[in-house]
Amino acid sequence: MNRNFDAIVVGAGPAGSSAALTMARAGLKVALLERGAFPGEKNMFGGVLHRLTALEDIFPDFWNQAPLERHIVKKALTFMTGESSFNVNFDTEVSDRTPYNGYTVSRPKFDRWLADEAVKAGATLLNRSTVDNVVKEGKQVVGVTLLRDGSELRAPIVIAADGVLSFTAQKAGLRRAQFNPSHLAVGVKALIDMPKEVIDDRFGLVRDQGASNEIVGCTSGVRGGGFLYTNYDSLSVGLVLHLSSLSQGTKTPYDLLNEFMAQPQMAKLLRGGQLQEYSAHLVPEGGLEMVPQIDGDGILVAGDAAGMCIVTGLNLEGINLATQSGVIAGQTAIKAHQEGNFTRFVLRDYRKLLEKTYVIKDLRLYRRTPQMLHNDRIYRQYPEFVCGLMDEIYRIDGTPKQSMTKMLLGAARKTIGLKNLMADVYAGWRAL
Amino acid sequence: MKINLDEIFDYTSFSVDREAHIVLESDQCTSCDQRACVVCCPARCYSWDEEARKMTFVHDGCLECGTCYVVCRKEAFSRWRYPRGGFGVSFRMT
Ligand SMILES: Cc1cc2nc3c(=O)[nH]c(=O)nc-3n(C[C@H](O)[C@H](O)[C@H](O)COP(=O)(O)OP(=O)(O)OC[C@H]3O[C@@H](n4cnc5c(N)ncnc54)[C@H](O)[C@@H]3O)c2cc1C
Ligand code: SF4
Ligand code: SF4
Repeated sequence: MNRNFDAIVVGAGPAGSSAALTMARAGLKVALLERGAFPGEKNMFGGVLHRLTALEDIFPDFWNQAPLERHIVKKALTFMTGESSFNVNFDTEVSDRTPYNGYTVSRPKFDRWLADEAVKAGATLLNRSTVDNVVKEGKQVVGVTLLRDGSELRAPIVIAADGVLSFTAQKAGLRRAQFNPSHLAVGVKALIDMPKEVIDDRFGLVRDQGASNEIVGCTSGVRGGGFLYTNYDSLSVGLVLHLSSLSQGTKTPYDLLNEFMAQPQMAKLLRGGQLQEYSAHLVPEGGLEMVPQIDGDGILVAGDAAGMCIVTGLNLEGINLATQSGVIAGQTAIKAHQEGNFTRFVLRDYRKLLEKTYVIKDLRLYRRTPQMLHNDRIYRQYPEFVCGLMDEIYRIDGTPKQSMTKMLLGAARKTIGLKNLMADVYAGWRAL
Repeated sequence: MKINLDEIFDYTSFSVDREAHIVLESDQCTSCDQRACVVCCPARCYSWDEEARKMTFVHDGCLECGTCYVVCRKEAFSRWRYPRGGFGVSFRMT
């Protein structure tokens, strides 16, 4: 095998495959390295794939080309306690028309498809290839070594798209070795088999329509939340748990997931399903604050490796940002080839171009959100407050009623405290 | 519906590498005041025996999530890397 390429991409996730596809289409000789036996084997998410605007030129009718499960037409936010749940539902026909607004997908299928598209465009995909280190000449990154046999692959530019822990960026000296646990959350997920007709009936869906549900209050007070998504003939159920909070408690992620799945309203939705797979993965939740240096001499960092994820509690955006940053990293590499210059003075363009897109703009807009979400009351008191209030409003038991305002203030005083409520509303308003 | 980690090999696929990808210097764990790895690992790879004051770590069944790498504040690993290409956990449907 020839070991010299125009560009090396580490990781065949959405960021890496988007970068490889972009460069291969421009005629560059690209190596796409993946540690799994196939792309997607190591990858898990909730999840809802949001619109990939960065790829819409290449895949004009994406929904007919990519392997998708269902398109989302129903979204719900649930406040949950041990016995109750209060739902806010949004149901729209607009999301039932193309271009759809989001899809459930299976990563082992989706990631494989996108990597195959890069291969069709001319990229060389090397599976079972764990990258061990970067090769440097002076300050310039000029290649990588593989763990398998220590062998070297060379290229004037390396794109680190190796996901949240990005050892490639670390070894190139672009990020510190130690992570701040408050920047990360662990996701655990159960994939549950269920016949399509049962899912359609239970969630009120037809054809390929899907539903997504975010849940707060289902984590025993640990900061984090739950999710429930409909795939074609399976459900994805899981929790995302902030490490700095999880580590202070006594319950493990699987204890918490088991409790969540056994909560009475959840148990009804999951009834009859068969557990197919259990998985776990980290989510970079630190926002702008955790973004490392993303350009160096001969190297760019994209996707989760660059901490590009936006978590607001209502949405989790990652794949769209990964794809967008991968495409721009690829374009920057193409330009560097045209100029024959791979120093960070040219590669700096990557950041400049990203600044103009929603990737950096939204990370900046939501820069206060991670801090706002580090408020234990959201996960403990608020779900109790909402469900307690609803219980009081709906309970007709022969005792005289209070005015709704009094009930609301009474419940808020009891569970949250009015001062806290005001502070939280203000923090929420600033953060979102 | 329940995740029972005693049966993890029944529902999650692995191709276990004899060569461990994570090597823990468990002496460090004896004096650790947090042991966050025990409560945070989603695959129950860490077990602390209070009586013997001993940490046991097994790498098969590891979901390669990276949680232990992040929560350990004592840098107790002489090796923490991903398995060699083609080894380790294999998600099929997720
Ligand atoms: C529980 C959970 C829920 C989520 N929900 C959503 C959601 O609803 N919507 C959304 O858009 N996003 C969601 N995300 C985030 C989303 O999954 C990520 O943002 C996205 O996968 C990032 O893509 P990436 O290509 O940057 O990284 P990854 O998808 O992590 O890909 C990295 C690739 O690099 C490979 N790799 C790593 N190290 C090496 C190495 N040394 N050598 C070779 N290959 C290597 C890996 O095997 C992998 O294939 C969720 C994440 C989690 C964990
Ligand atoms: S946190 Fe680190 S040092 Fe402490 S018990 Fe766990 S592995 Fe050992
Ligand atoms: S990587 Fe994740 S699953 Fe593996 S031992 Fe560490 S915490 Fe446990």
